[in-house]
Amino acid sequence: MLVPLVSTLIVQSLIARSLIAMVACTLALPALAASTPAVAPTLPAAPAAAAAASAAQPASAPEATLTGAGQRIYERTRPRLLQVRTLLKTQDSQSSVGSGFLIDEDAHLITNYHVVSQYALQPTRHRLVYATVDGKQGALQLLAFDVVHDLALLKPVDATPLAGRGAVELRPQNDALPRGARIFSLGNPLDVGFAVAEGNYNGPVERSFLPTLFFGGSLSGGMSGGPALDEQGRLVGVNVAARRDGEQVSFLVPADPVRALIARGRGNAPITEPAWPEITRQLMQHEANLTERFIAQPWRNAGHPIYTIPVPQETWMRCWGQGTPQATRGLQFERSDCEMDSRIFVSGPLLTGYITVRHEAYDGSRIGALRFMERYSSSFGNEFVGQDDRFRTAGQCVERSVSAAARVGNGSKAARTTTLPLKAVICLRAYKKLEGLLDMMVLVATLDGKTTGVQGRMDAHGISLASAQRLAQHYLDGFAWNPAQNTNPTSPSAKTASR
Amino acid sequence: MEPGAEHESDQPQRQDRLALIEVFERDGRMGRSASVRRWPLTLGRALDNDVVLDDPHIAAHHATLQLGGGGRLQLQVGDSINGVSVGQVHHKAGAQVPLPPEGATLQLGGVKLRLRLPQERLAPERALPALARAHLVGPLIAGLALVLLALLDHWLSLDPGADAAAWLPMVVGLPVVLTGWCVLWALASKLFQHRFDFLGHLRIALPWLLAIELLDLVLTPLAASLGWPWLWRLVAPLQLLLAVLMLRQHLMQVLPQSGRVVTTFLVAAALAGTAISLAMTQRATDRYSRPAYMSTLPLPALNLSRPVSAPQLVQELAPLAEQLAARVKKAREDEPPEGEGSRD
Repeated sequence: MLVPLVSTLIVQSLIARSLIAMVACTLALPALAASTPAVAPTLPAAPAAAAAASAAQPASAPEATLTGAGQRIYERTRPRLLQVRTLLKTQDSQSSVGSGFLIDEDAHLITNYHVVSQYALQPTRHRLVYATVDGKQGALQLLAFDVVHDLALLKPVDATPLAGRGAVELRPQNDALPRGARIFSLGNPLDVGFAVAEGNYNGPVERSFLPTLFFGGSLSGGMSGGPALDEQGRLVGVNVAARRDGEQVSFLVPADPVRALIARGRGNAPITEPAWPEITRQLMQHEANLTERFIAQPWRNAGHPIYTIPVPQETWMRCWGQGTPQATRGLQFERSDCEMDSRIFVSGPLLTGYITVRHEAYDGSRIGALRFMERYSSSFGNEFVGQDDRFRTAGQCVERSVSAAARVGNGSKAARTTTLPLKAVICLRAYKKLEGLLDMMVLVATLDGKTTGVQGRMDAHGISLASAQRLAQHYLDGFAWNPAQNTNPTSPSAKTASR
Repeated sequence: MEPGAEHESDQPQRQDRLALIEVFERDGRMGRSASVRRWPLTLGRALDNDVVLDDPHIAAHHATLQLGGGGRLQLQVGDSINGVSVGQVHHKAGAQVPLPPEGATLQLGGVKLRLRLPQERLAPERALPALARAHLVGPLIAGLALVLLALLDHWLSLDPGADAAAWLPMVVGLPVVLTGWCVLWALASKLFQHRFDFLGHLRIALPWLLAIELLDLVLTPLAASLGWPWLWRLVAPLQLLLAVLMLRQHLMQVLPQSGRVVTTFLVAAALAGTAISLAMTQRATDRYSRPAYMSTLPLPALNLSRPVSAPQLVQELAPLAEQLAARVKKAREDEPPEGEGSRD
């Protein structure tokens, strides 16, 4: 599958699995290292980081003498700012590091789900620890999480070291922040030390299924879960991700889901068992919502002269097109790739809860029917289903010749009811730990044209069987003759259509 | 000259020849033969035998062939460590074995003999792997057809107006590969049959290769047209079967006496290969065959499959999901419990 490189949406989670691991596993670091060349070699040992950071700070100065807004915000938030570490129980070395902040006087704190995901999935093998700016450390308990919005609510086992530090106030719901407003993101990037990153609030991310805020500033690994504050020090959002193919394109989880998580999770008992059932429950809600909203949208037309091809609305999807150069002697095609930005992080290699739709329209008029069929077949045959892996079973498929549902032509004039012959393959893969959730692939090829054809593919990740059936039906229904097509002597559609 | 036997180079006297003893070399070719004019006949390494066999695994007086009661020929095994095998049956020293009237194959130590008797059933005359024109017409046609198919295949894969150089791999490659294949087999023939039988192997290879190609050319589009995935799934096993048959014929050309061994070996190899391939497929896909959508799409005019409606297809997802649920259950049972060994 060719995806234009410049525009791929790789949203990097800001989780810092120690600096060395970051070098190995993310695309982000080469660029990052180039801009901050001194960081890597002089990195202090991890446990010393917090102490070093606090030592580097001047002892708390009276707020009145601070001139810069950043200084003022940092000074005010400093006691409420934490680093959240996931440690391996057996050897006390950190397996991931993020940030967090206190949200009430009882020392409840918020971070990202992805910062504590290892603990949530394997609580018997990991433990959670906080470190404050002034070097205090202690054990944490996970009370609740929102896997869809990537949030987690935690509480220290012993609240006394964190008592009396105040709380980060949430910006009121009805008080909209103007685009361009200055905001400050706090956290501990790459475990180097606590930091303030200043940037601009750029409103909600466009075409995103899940509410996400666009922060025009730099976020680095390790800042995940840290607060992004307005000039009054109130919470605008929670640091969550950044794009590595651009500059200062970072993302925040808005305050509303934070508010909801606090409301429902504050009184919970600590989580001590693997959280797969709760994750499954939350993903089920998400997929039902996603499917409902996806099916409620009518398909767009791809503008193909012969066929109606299902292309999703771009309300919360992004489509990229690509075609063969005009001078090509061989098979010509145009393709469209539509993807959702919002994907749900479950664990490092497992992202789910999204839909992609793509198609390729082929024109073989320059190569003739036999050669067209050869290339058209092999293009259909080389689609990949997915083999058995840690999280999912191997794909199981059904394959049939399908006659697309009769479609009534547009307008009130001579309604045409013709069927389009299709080859359709539907494959399912089941999640091993997320019981009841499936990945579905629907593959469709039109079978009527001697030298023209369209092949489409829809992938839906993390859906229930009922949703799979509805989505598959919806997608198959999207294929038909183009009701506006001109009489085309080479296409049998012209014959059937003029009956 | 010994009284009972004489070498064929001597003046033959057909009237009183009772039997013929043929002595084979180690490579299976016949080395010499001796006519038998009277019984008994002694065989061994010592000079006073009728037939002297020079092999370190043969005793001085290894065996005697004599007429027993009722005029039936029998074998008396002499004072030997290794004994004598008649056909597949081994006999120890001192044994007395009646011999079949139509002759027998005897193994004395490392020497293989054939005893031919007047009542033997002669195999019909075998045609020479002749260079006669009639024998070359079939392979020639097969060869031409094969080349045409390969050309067609290559033509399909090239875009119109492709550079002439794009044909080179096919035009050069096919003859080189085919020649190489037949040369290797001819070398094997040279080793075992002392005959560089290139044409013989070419005549075997061409029709089988053509059949393998045709099978794919006919059955795959047919399966696509009829919408029969099972037919498509048959293509690869059938091709394998044809390839095994082709190999068998090549091997029989090289080792004509070892039919049973060759067949057993090929069947075992084919079964082992199939089992490994099935196991690999099963590991990757949880099924014993790859998804059928890898098959060819039918030409529009030849699309004879009976289509279903979209809702019918969608209904088929439910049983699929059930299968997957069972698979998930099994995967869970196989997995060690969470956090094993680190509970504290």
